[in-house]
Amino acid sequence: MMEIGLTHYLVLSTVLFAIGLVGVMRRKNLLMLFMASEILLNAVNVAFAAIGHYYGDLTGQMFAFFVIAIAASEVAVGLGLLIIWYKRTDTIDLDTMTSMRG
Amino acid sequence: MFDHMLSILIFFPALAGMLGFIVSKESIRAYGITVSAIEFVLSLVLWYGYDPSVAGMQFMEQFALVPAFGINYLLGVDGISLFIIILASFFTLIGIASLTETRRVKDMIITLLFLQMTMVGVFAALDAILFYVFWELSLVPMLYIIGAWGGPLRIYASIKFFLYTFTGSLIMLVGMLFMAYFYFQATGQWSFSILEWYRLVLPENLQLWLFVAFFIGFAIKVPMFPFHTWLPYAHGQAPTIGSVILAAILLKMGTYAFVRFSLPLFPDASVFFMVPVAVLAIIMIIYTAMVAYAQEDIKQVVAYSSISHMGVIILGTFAMNVEGISGSVFLMIGHGVVSGALFLLVGVIYDRRHTKLMSEFGGLAQVMPRYATIFGIMVMASVGLPLTINFVGEFLSLLGFYSQSHMMTLLAGTAIIVGAIYMLSAYKKAFFGDVTKEENKTLKDVNKKELVALIPLVILAVWLGVYPKPVLTPINNSVESIVQLMHEKAITPEAKAAIPNPAETKIAMASVTEVEVDVEREAE
Amino acid sequence: MEMYLYIALFAPFVGSLFAALFGASPKTLWSGVVTSALLFASFVSSVTLFVYLLQGGEPIHTELMTWMATGNLYIPFGFVVDQVSATMMFVVTTVSTVVHVYAIGYMDHDKAFNRFFAWLSAFVFSMMILVMSDNFAGMFIGWEGVGLCSWALIGFWYHKESATWAANEAFIMNRIADLGMLIGIFLLYWHTGSLQYDVVFAAVPNLDTSIVTLMGIFLFVGAMGKSAQFPLHTWLADAMEGPTPVSALIHAATMVTAGVYLVVRANPLYSLIPEVGYFIAGLGAFVAMFAATMALVNRDIKRIIAYSTLSQLGYMFVAAGLGAYWVALFHLMAHAFFKALLFLGAGNVMHAMSDELDPFKMGGLYKVMKWTAILMILASVALAGIWPLAGFFSKDKILEVAFSSEHYIIWAVLWITAGLTAFYSFRLIMLTFFSGEERYKEHGFHPHEAYKFMLWAMAPLAVLAVIAGWFEQQFVHFVTELLPTFEFHTHHVEMMLIAVTSLMAIGGIVVAVLLYRNGLLNPKLQQTAVYKLLFNQYYIPKFYDEFFSKPYAELSKIFWKQVDLKVVDATVDFIATTIYKTGEGTHTMQNGNLSSMLRWMVIGTVGLLVLAVLYVKRYDILALMQMVFPGLGA
Repeated sequence: MMEIGLTHYLVLSTVLFAIGLVGVMRRKNLLMLFMASEILLNAVNVAFAAIGHYYGDLTGQMFAFFVIAIAASEVAVGLGLLIIWYKRTDTIDLDTMTSMRG
Repeated sequence: MFDHMLSILIFFPALAGMLGFIVSKESIRAYGITVSAIEFVLSLVLWYGYDPSVAGMQFMEQFALVPAFGINYLLGVDGISLFIIILASFFTLIGIASLTETRRVKDMIITLLFLQMTMVGVFAALDAILFYVFWELSLVPMLYIIGAWGGPLRIYASIKFFLYTFTGSLIMLVGMLFMAYFYFQATGQWSFSILEWYRLVLPENLQLWLFVAFFIGFAIKVPMFPFHTWLPYAHGQAPTIGSVILAAILLKMGTYAFVRFSLPLFPDASVFFMVPVAVLAIIMIIYTAMVAYAQEDIKQVVAYSSISHMGVIILGTFAMNVEGISGSVFLMIGHGVVSGALFLLVGVIYDRRHTKLMSEFGGLAQVMPRYATIFGIMVMASVGLPLTINFVGEFLSLLGFYSQSHMMTLLAGTAIIVGAIYMLSAYKKAFFGDVTKEENKTLKDVNKKELVALIPLVILAVWLGVYPKPVLTPINNSVESIVQLMHEKAITPEAKAAIPNPAETKIAMASVTEVEVDVEREAE
Repeated sequence: MEMYLYIALFAPFVGSLFAALFGASPKTLWSGVVTSALLFASFVSSVTLFVYLLQGGEPIHTELMTWMATGNLYIPFGFVVDQVSATMMFVVTTVSTVVHVYAIGYMDHDKAFNRFFAWLSAFVFSMMILVMSDNFAGMFIGWEGVGLCSWALIGFWYHKESATWAANEAFIMNRIADLGMLIGIFLLYWHTGSLQYDVVFAAVPNLDTSIVTLMGIFLFVGAMGKSAQFPLHTWLADAMEGPTPVSALIHAATMVTAGVYLVVRANPLYSLIPEVGYFIAGLGAFVAMFAATMALVNRDIKRIIAYSTLSQLGYMFVAAGLGAYWVALFHLMAHAFFKALLFLGAGNVMHAMSDELDPFKMGGLYKVMKWTAILMILASVALAGIWPLAGFFSKDKILEVAFSSEHYIIWAVLWITAGLTAFYSFRLIMLTFFSGEERYKEHGFHPHEAYKFMLWAMAPLAVLAVIAGWFEQQFVHFVTELLPTFEFHTHHVEMMLIAVTSLMAIGGIVVAVLLYRNGLLNPKLQQTAVYKLLFNQYYIPKFYDEFFSKPYAELSKIFWKQVDLKVVDATVDFIATTIYKTGEGTHTMQNGNLSSMLRWMVIGTVGLLVLAVLYVKRYDILALMQMVFPGLGA
């Protein structure tokens, strides 16, 4: 049976990141966008943790915690804004948010 | 008495312009004339205080602006810039005095006063950054004059004028920054002073690059072929006063900068690029003269003729000897007077008929004899008839360039032929023949106000043609020092050979004069 | 003596300014009288100077002030009165005084009487500068000055299209030649360091012959323009559009001889380069005959005289080219007198015939205009070179010069031309004054004799045309103090030559008289090819028009419409619009849509990452490239 090594974690991380990226690019629903960005962050987390473990260095895992903490606060703020936006406009479709139009 | 003379000359019109905002509309003309008259008198005082025997800078003023980078408020004039400054104040005076009824006279006069500040500033600045600031600032009032008072295509013309020249100036700015950087590398100190830069001898390849960077900025301003196309539009759309100032002074900024920057900073590169530049100048002379011949609009004839004459100035500048450069500096003044006057004259008829097409005129000599006379004098001055101001400059420029190349001078000399062709045929179309159009039969001859503007120009055109010495001597002395500097700085053997040493040729000259027969032979 | 010099020079200038003051106002007799009086003063001063020099006085050389001084160049307003310029001054002031007085009558009814005198005096002033200057630049002032005045006077009746066209043609053609002169001046300056005659002429013998040759050629190009030598000759005939006194003064006696004066003045230079001299002489002989043939058939009295002028200028250039400078000057002087007289006579005829110029419409005018006819016959005889009138002495000398220097072809050409000259002169006389029927009556003219004082004004010229040749010995003695002498080797055949030439001239006269004594020739002659060729001036004006003027205008149009607007300007606009369009095309990127922005963000990140990788791996990539394309080099 094959040992699960760094490469596998990194491949997993890349795949997750790609999924997140596609989600960010394709999704029109704001909520889904949040999900996709969470996937992105967690893809990085996986890579951090794996590399940290590989080098026997805790810095990577520490960074992963940081990322989790920041992601949590970001979601908290973001969801709050999202709810207000939904209350005002009855939609969370991205295409309607064009007030930044150049 | 002469302390801060140049600062006063620069900022007096600007301050007066600011005050102009609170002057009432009725008295703004008188106010403008007074201010520009004072400014003109001040510039004459400058001439009075100027010592023609000194070749270097005079009335120097210095005041540190950004000491860390060696940027100073550094002013000074020599024989080369002195007369252009006087010309600038003279033309502002004439321009304001002859200003016809326009919309928003007040804005116009204030704009002109600001323009005057920038013009004097450009020619008095000895710090590259200061020079650049005034150079760019001069675009703004002109943009406003064309854009606000121009013809139907004014927006297009003014944007083209602005963007075109601005692009060139940016490249020039990059060149300046590099120059300062090289100076820093060589001496360990930052400096933007042109006089400091003069002392720096750059290796040839750097000179070539910097020359090109400066050249683009200057060439667009002059404007040299093939960068000239903004000028006909600008002239075509600008009001009379705008064209006058543009042709008389603003274009001279380019040719002046060649003498002030390109030649003494990059003598080897100047010699290296002499032939291509001369070829461009010759194309400018012949090609634009032919284009002028094809024009139907008399103002465009004058506009293209102005480009054609600028070619002779460039050629004289790149003659690299005292005769040629003195001639080209003198021709800058001559061209200013003559083309300024021609634009004023075109304005006179435009005010009466509101058209500039020559086919609409014909036979004007019968209806407006005085106008035809003055126009004729200026046409002849433009054609370069001896004893008019332009001849002195053209003769010396071509004479100077002859020592560099025979064939090219022969080609450039066709300026006197092609110039005569378009000018005389335009004059014939407008003034000779029978009066065919009914409207022209009742035209009024030039009035007093117009005469006030035109007569001084006629006097100037003839006076400096007959007796150019008071102007030519200071120019000559300053040019001699520049040529001397170039000769000493030159590193390549070609450049050493192409740039004569004025000190040596003076000695040779002395031996020639000994041969000369005593001219003071007593009669009887 | 300097005072006389300045009076001679500036009196016409003052007169010109005076008349110009009233230039735009209606006729005031004063302007004519004052200018004439001032010219008379100039004439008296010139004569005084002439006599002073004749009595062995030293040449006068003064300097008024500096004109241009820069670098090594020093050009003063300097004036010199020596034997050559004194002769020229005498000729110029004599003829112009006469012409001024005459013009008071001639321009009597003209609205622009005052303007005319302003320009006429200005012309004399320019001409005086030309001949009196002590340097080439000063000569060039006069050179261009006379060009300007000639322009203004040819186009004097500016409402006439033909007049203004001719004026511009004259000016522009002269400008072409002036460029040559200017280049000559540049050459002189860069090789001798000065433009003063004395310095230059002292320096030229030490110069390389090729340089001197170039100088000679370029200066002569200038002379060709002013003196209307082939191929720059067409303007002179067209210049006859100007008032007749102008033709007499400018286009016969003075301005057109400036070219000859230049060559005579620059004789130390031309003596060094005989090859150029031969060319000048050859061209002169060619022009002499060429112009004479055109005069044979012309139907315009002024143009006939103009071609005759051209022909005589050719004679002068033959003499000057062959080194007989004093002969050229002598013929110049004699020619000025009789040719001006001829023109003024033609002016009388024109006046009488209400500005009709075609001699075919005249005939039999002798009865009404006896005195004019006599004066014109006198001038024609002098022109034809019949003893003892002026033309005999001067023209004969030129033929002798050609024979003596063994240029027999030139001699033969000139000899035949002498016959032609006599023929066309008397053809004109016969057609105008005699030849049987009075054709003018058919055309409804009522000719009358000119004012008495106009005839009296012409009298001095008539006298000079008769006697000028008698002073040949004194003249030679006088001018050869400055000019080189010419050695004649023809003493043994001298009388023979004179006889042959005189026979030719008399033959020409007799043929003309016989042919035209009963009126016009058979009109069928006008159908012949030779007649057409000559009548159309060898089609040269047409050639110039087709091959120079029109293409120039066309090319100008193309340069403007096609090149300047469609290439140069369009390029600039293309760059500007490209930048503008890029902005226009890409500004949709900023549509404010969050998801498309995110997409752009991702694309940008990826792009940057790729660049970063490429940058890190640049050496590997370069190595790979070198492996794949080994020829690429480092």
